[in-house]
Amino acid sequence: MKVLKKTLLLAAIGGSLFATTASAEQVTLTWQMWTGSDADTKGWQHLADMVTAKYPDIKVTLTTTGWVDYWTRLPVLAASGQLADIVSMQSLRMPNFYSLLEPLNDRIAADKFDVGAFTPSIIGGMSVDKQLYGLPYDVGPWVIYYNQDALEAAGIPLPKPGWTLAEFTDAAKKLTKDGKYGFGITPQNYSVLASAWGDKYVNDSGELDLTNPGAIAAAEKVIGFAAKDKVAPLVPSSADAGTVIQGRFYSGNVAMYVDGPWSIIGMKDKVKFKIGSTSLPRGEAELTAVTAGSGFGIATTSKNKDAAWKAIQVLTSPEALQYLAEQGRALPARTASQSSWYKVAAKDITNGGEAIDYSLAHSVPYVITNNWAAVENLFNQYFPPAFGGSAGAKQTMESIQSLAQQ
Amino acid sequence: MSQSAVAEIPLQPGRPRRFLKPETQTAMLFLLPSFLGFMIFMALPILASLALSFTNWQLIWTPSFVGFQNYIKLFTVDPAFYAILRNTLFFAVEYLAVNIIVSLTLAVWISSLKRGKAIFRVIFFLPTFTPTIAASVVWLLIFTPDGLADTIIRALGLGLPNFLLSSSWAMQAVVLVTLWANVGYNVVMFNAALDLVPKHYLEAATIDGANAWQRFWRIRLPLISPTVFFATVMTAITSLQVFDEIFAMTRGGPGSATATLGFAIYQKGFTNFQMGYASALAWVMFVMIMALTILQFHMQRKWVHYDD
Repeated sequence: MKVLKKTLLLAAIGGSLFATTASAEQVTLTWQMWTGSDADTKGWQHLADMVTAKYPDIKVTLTTTGWVDYWTRLPVLAASGQLADIVSMQSLRMPNFYSLLEPLNDRIAADKFDVGAFTPSIIGGMSVDKQLYGLPYDVGPWVIYYNQDALEAAGIPLPKPGWTLAEFTDAAKKLTKDGKYGFGITPQNYSVLASAWGDKYVNDSGELDLTNPGAIAAAEKVIGFAAKDKVAPLVPSSADAGTVIQGRFYSGNVAMYVDGPWSIIGMKDKVKFKIGSTSLPRGEAELTAVTAGSGFGIATTSKNKDAAWKAIQVLTSPEALQYLAEQGRALPARTASQSSWYKVAAKDITNGGEAIDYSLAHSVPYVITNNWAAVENLFNQYFPPAFGGSAGAKQTMESIQSLAQQ
Repeated sequence: MSQSAVAEIPLQPGRPRRFLKPETQTAMLFLLPSFLGFMIFMALPILASLALSFTNWQLIWTPSFVGFQNYIKLFTVDPAFYAILRNTLFFAVEYLAVNIIVSLTLAVWISSLKRGKAIFRVIFFLPTFTPTIAASVVWLLIFTPDGLADTIIRALGLGLPNFLLSSSWAMQAVVLVTLWANVGYNVVMFNAALDLVPKHYLEAATIDGANAWQRFWRIRLPLISPTVFFATVMTAITSLQVFDEIFAMTRGGPGSATATLGFAIYQKGFTNFQMGYASALAWVMFVMIMALTILQFHMQRKWVHYDD
């Protein structure tokens, strides 16, 4: 009897010890992500499951929100201390929100994580002051999409990546006829085009500098498309000018416009013409194409930072990015995985792969200030009158510069 | 409550004296959800925004107390503030005047109809059912460069610029759309008030030789003046808060031509994350609305006629 008692006692102690150990190792991480559709959500859930497949003791619970709501909810969740362990972040918004994320440089160095496998410009985009705050899953340079049928009808040879501003303007002029426009421009295109031409609108200290001669010259060229050359339609400062211009391109009213590779998937089904793609037009020097992309960071408030670090490595692993690429969801941030995306998403776009390849080879991080959302609002408000010819480039830039600092 | 009833209560044996009468308790119980809702979702945020207006809270960083700095910055540094204030007052005054005149005219016209009153009331009231944002997006497409409005303006040879691209005309587009969306509410209210004007007053005036204008100006308008007063106060308050139409149609542009207080609060708070500054703006708006409402209540003595 004594022996039985002892055995049972030992078994109970052993059992409880085992149970304690097991529950201590099991970690549930929360992950907040944006989504555009059910298919999109399924894709992210697949990635969450990949984490558990590799680390059975880590479970990732996915929470999704629509793109616009995501950016309204994020600061509110942060302010109320409810951030998820894994926070998804877009490079353009990193300067606003990096303080919510854990710096990753020490972890990268300790684990010898290979940052070199990613396109450098998106590593720059996910960094602030050379400190990386998130691992990227996609990258995209802005390029020009064109209506190939319209170009062929106008007898314009299909533009090759690396074309010049003069060649671009000439094509836009030839394409502007019969109530249709050669180029669709939005106020937000300013910074992307100014960067492509090597003009700086942010100084070396990271402050907005729209009144330097280069920044004004770039504004003159951008405004000139609508105000002087009249090759671009006027846009009101309302709503989302990008969507308006995209709609005019789809309907065949505008022959060329600026967009990123993230738009390709939806684009082909919406148009009745052949789509081609090329790099942004360069100025005198080589093209400097800015990129944007997104990735995953670890919340500073997370109680499971080590597990979250393991999880974001899986979410941005070659296997995960391969999966996203095959779904056509994203142009992978890992250089080696990019070819699989070309095969799926860019296959029906003339020179689609070449335009992106060329742009990535000439890519630089997108330089923005920490109040970029406010600056873009001001672009949206102050460029339209200039496009309409009622304000000059210098005056426009001075107004935005003065208001952006408030 | 009669005094005798109160006096009788202690005389009833075995019945404890209650703090509140049973029907008052029931009323309180039913009012509780609404009261709690008001406290949690109105009173508390209002007080919180007052406190926040003295901080530099940017949502993701811990706020620190900055005293009156936000208010000082508003009135002395921000180059956009006076333009925003001007736009807000300009919109409120123009919209209020046009709304009251148009809705009163339409209401008088509808009440003069022998048939189809109900149909016209419904027609004018219909836009108030439509979500303003959705309606504004449709109007944006109408006003967009080379859109329907431009085509009509060109066809009529009016020589007007595109409304949304012109700093001087953009606000007129906003006034027009807001009027279209909201005028029906006042039309229905005025129409109901006009229908309550006793017929014999008007008949007597007609016999005495008063024409239609005199009957309106001397009899109907004074008799519906409490309704006109209510409509004026409510329309003034909503016009100072205009947001949806501006958000959807102009985003405060072109330039700062249509940036009003309501839009500036949204922009500073939710796109620029300057919550402290946005709260200060909200309190400026609150003080303005309060001052205007007090002024209107003060002025009503001169033109509002109550029966008693």
